[in-house]
Amino acid sequence: MFLSKKITYTALTLSLLTVPALGACSNSTASSNQNDTKQTASQEKESKQDTLKNNVKKMQTTLNKLQNGLEENDQKQIKKYGKELYNQWLSYENNIREKYPLLYTDTEKYILPLSTEIEKDSLDQKKVQELSVQLDRSFENLKNAKETATKTSEALKKAVNNYKSYVNDQTEQLVKTTTTFTDAVKAGDLEKAKASYAEARVYYERIEPIAESFGDLDPKIDAREGDVDTSEWGGFHRIEKAIWKDSSLEGMDQYATQLNKDVQDLQQRVKEVKLEPTQVVAGSMELLNEAAISKVTGEEERYSHIDLVDLASNVEGSLAVYHAVLPILNEKSPDLSEQLDKEFNQLTATLGKYQKDGTYLPYTELTKEQIRELSQQLNTLSESMAQTAEIFQ
Amino acid sequence: MKESKKPKQYTRRDMLKMSVLTGVGVAVSTSSIGVLANMANGLGNSSEKASSNPVDDSIISFNGKNQAGIVTPQQTYAYVAAFDLLTDQKDKVIDLFKKWTVLSQSMTQGEVSKDNNNDWLPPKDTGEAKDLTPSKLTLTFGFGPSFFSKNGEDRFGLADKKPKHLKDIPAMPRDDLQEPFIGGDISVQVCADDQQVAFHAVRNLIKSAVGVAEVKWMQSGFISAPDEKTPRNLFGFKDGTANVSSKDSESHNRIIWANNSEPAWMQGGTYLAFRKIQMFLEVWDRSSLKDQEDTFGRKKDSGAPYGKVKEHDKVSLMQMPPTSHTALAKGTKQEIYRRAYSYTDGVDPKTGNINAGLMFISYQKNPDTQFIPMLKVLSQQDKLNEYTKHIGSAMFACARGIRKGEYIAQSLLE
Repeated sequence: MFLSKKITYTALTLSLLTVPALGACSNSTASSNQNDTKQTASQEKESKQDTLKNNVKKMQTTLNKLQNGLEENDQKQIKKYGKELYNQWLSYENNIREKYPLLYTDTEKYILPLSTEIEKDSLDQKKVQELSVQLDRSFENLKNAKETATKTSEALKKAVNNYKSYVNDQTEQLVKTTTTFTDAVKAGDLEKAKASYAEARVYYERIEPIAESFGDLDPKIDAREGDVDTSEWGGFHRIEKAIWKDSSLEGMDQYATQLNKDVQDLQQRVKEVKLEPTQVVAGSMELLNEAAISKVTGEEERYSHIDLVDLASNVEGSLAVYHAVLPILNEKSPDLSEQLDKEFNQLTATLGKYQKDGTYLPYTELTKEQIRELSQQLNTLSESMAQTAEIFQ
Repeated sequence: MKESKKPKQYTRRDMLKMSVLTGVGVAVSTSSIGVLANMANGLGNSSEKASSNPVDDSIISFNGKNQAGIVTPQQTYAYVAAFDLLTDQKDKVIDLFKKWTVLSQSMTQGEVSKDNNNDWLPPKDTGEAKDLTPSKLTLTFGFGPSFFSKNGEDRFGLADKKPKHLKDIPAMPRDDLQEPFIGGDISVQVCADDQQVAFHAVRNLIKSAVGVAEVKWMQSGFISAPDEKTPRNLFGFKDGTANVSSKDSESHNRIIWANNSEPAWMQGGTYLAFRKIQMFLEVWDRSSLKDQEDTFGRKKDSGAPYGKVKEHDKVSLMQMPPTSHTALAKGTKQEIYRRAYSYTDGVDPKTGNINAGLMFISYQKNPDTQFIPMLKVLSQQDKLNEYTKHIGSAMFACARGIRKGEYIAQSLLE
């Protein structure tokens, strides 16, 4: 069932090889000049951070005045300080974007709509109010930003790129294996459909959060019975039911055709999508949460009982993210990466116990204690994985 | 009723304001936290100081000669949880207890762990106790027999420090024990006058143990009575009449606190006996008052023993039905210190009856003579057995009190 696994591991290793090399490179450059530049660098750093702090403080003062205007219902004052704030931001933003790209984006998210709103003849005070609160929070984060953000942002970009190529690769495999599956369904070959179902599921489950980010596609591809209206129900699980419950592929043609179309659509959209580092890390958590909520309970694959396949794929997808951010994590929090190595290994070893001839046992063959053990190890891993967001500081 | 007598309860925010004004409490208790924090690898060194006003009577100190939550007058709400360890490394266990110590210290003071400045990380504190008073929160830790040896193995090389009387409660005649409510490696009894504060505490202990220990079972309970009065159980009878006063330290030494016949870490500690007892409320409520009173050997209204007038009048065995609960318990001539809570667990889907009962907890220095013989007699003969079933059981050795700068059970683990 899992010949395909080898292929992806190779792909993963390839993309990962490049990352640590880059990490190591930047390290050695930094250390060679360290001694002579140390003092000046730290002085410079201090003064830069002071400037940043002062600039942000100035903007906060203006924001305060704007908020006073809101309290007093004074449109003129709101507009005046809104404009002043926006002008201040424009004069500082280049510097901030360069040094703290993540925090920059976070601030832009609120200041741009604010600048549009205050240009309106009758502005929406409630909206301005909400934006100003968010903005204040962004300013607070900006004020406390640490200098390391620069180097991190470069490394983060690389991590995202590496992960993106992993996702592209997985989606390509998804399209291939789904075609094999849907061909079998259309040919009415029950045995072949049964054999190829799990293979396609692997690739979908590895990149599930990305697929889910296109709101309309996930329900079409992956809805379980009862998740959507019966009349709209199609995708993998519709055919799963036909194979394992009804033992007949009659009438499945239309679902097979649609499923094939949908995964191709997914592939197209994945190619175009722009991923944010925070989104990638959040996705790795989503994968583990998915595994902990619907896979370890046997709810996902209620007819085929291949829940362990899905669970393992979720974990593999999460591992891919972890490997992508590893160079940054190694630098920021070596204890955490050591811990995560151990916990991924432990869970993989436990899952390995339930593999026979390269195929996972059906969920129904696991004892309560074995499921509990998996659940507990997933929890342990998730708890540590949640801490990987340390790389954003 | 209880609430109205108390002086004004302060919220954490009030406390913060006050401590800023007086500046006294803050300095004192942060320094003790600081010591511990260093010891615990910097864990918890960033607590947000909130409420440390010297007049705050909603704080019960986590530190002392004996652990809090044993002779502490009973708070209204309780969670008792048992944990199983997932590690075979002693240093991992030590780290866990250091973490728990810092957490317990700060939670009993009403402090909330402060977060790093990173919105992408999950908050350290789960947050539901913010703005609430410490509510007399106590946390009491104990060790089950399986902590010392499991499957015949001396797990952490601590076999020589195992307390003399620590063993599983032997099987009793009518036992119907149901997993998971049997035993456990570590126990914690969390009590507070606010259920949300109590739950927050047990939840954060569970959360911080992930990967090292997993919660095996957890039971919540409640008990309520006007000040200085004996609380009633769900059968409507007073429960714990025979307890000595919570201030009678001489009696505590006689009944509760282990002495120098035990390993050093247990001297000033005690044994916790736990039984989860299901009570058939519907059947009980259909029984005549006479039947009910014959079952307990006491008057329902006053709590007075048969033949007497007042609750605390001396029990006379001759005047009670011989198989009544009180007669049998008194007949053993042993004393225990009861700290039971009632529980409700929804509806039994099979019968449609209410799932409820008593989370029996008693503390004693020698369960072999004080508790087990009493339980045996009651299990065999108690008239109350018609209306109850024992469905959970555990015994734990609670260490002596935690001194300032120490972590929980340090003298056991080092």
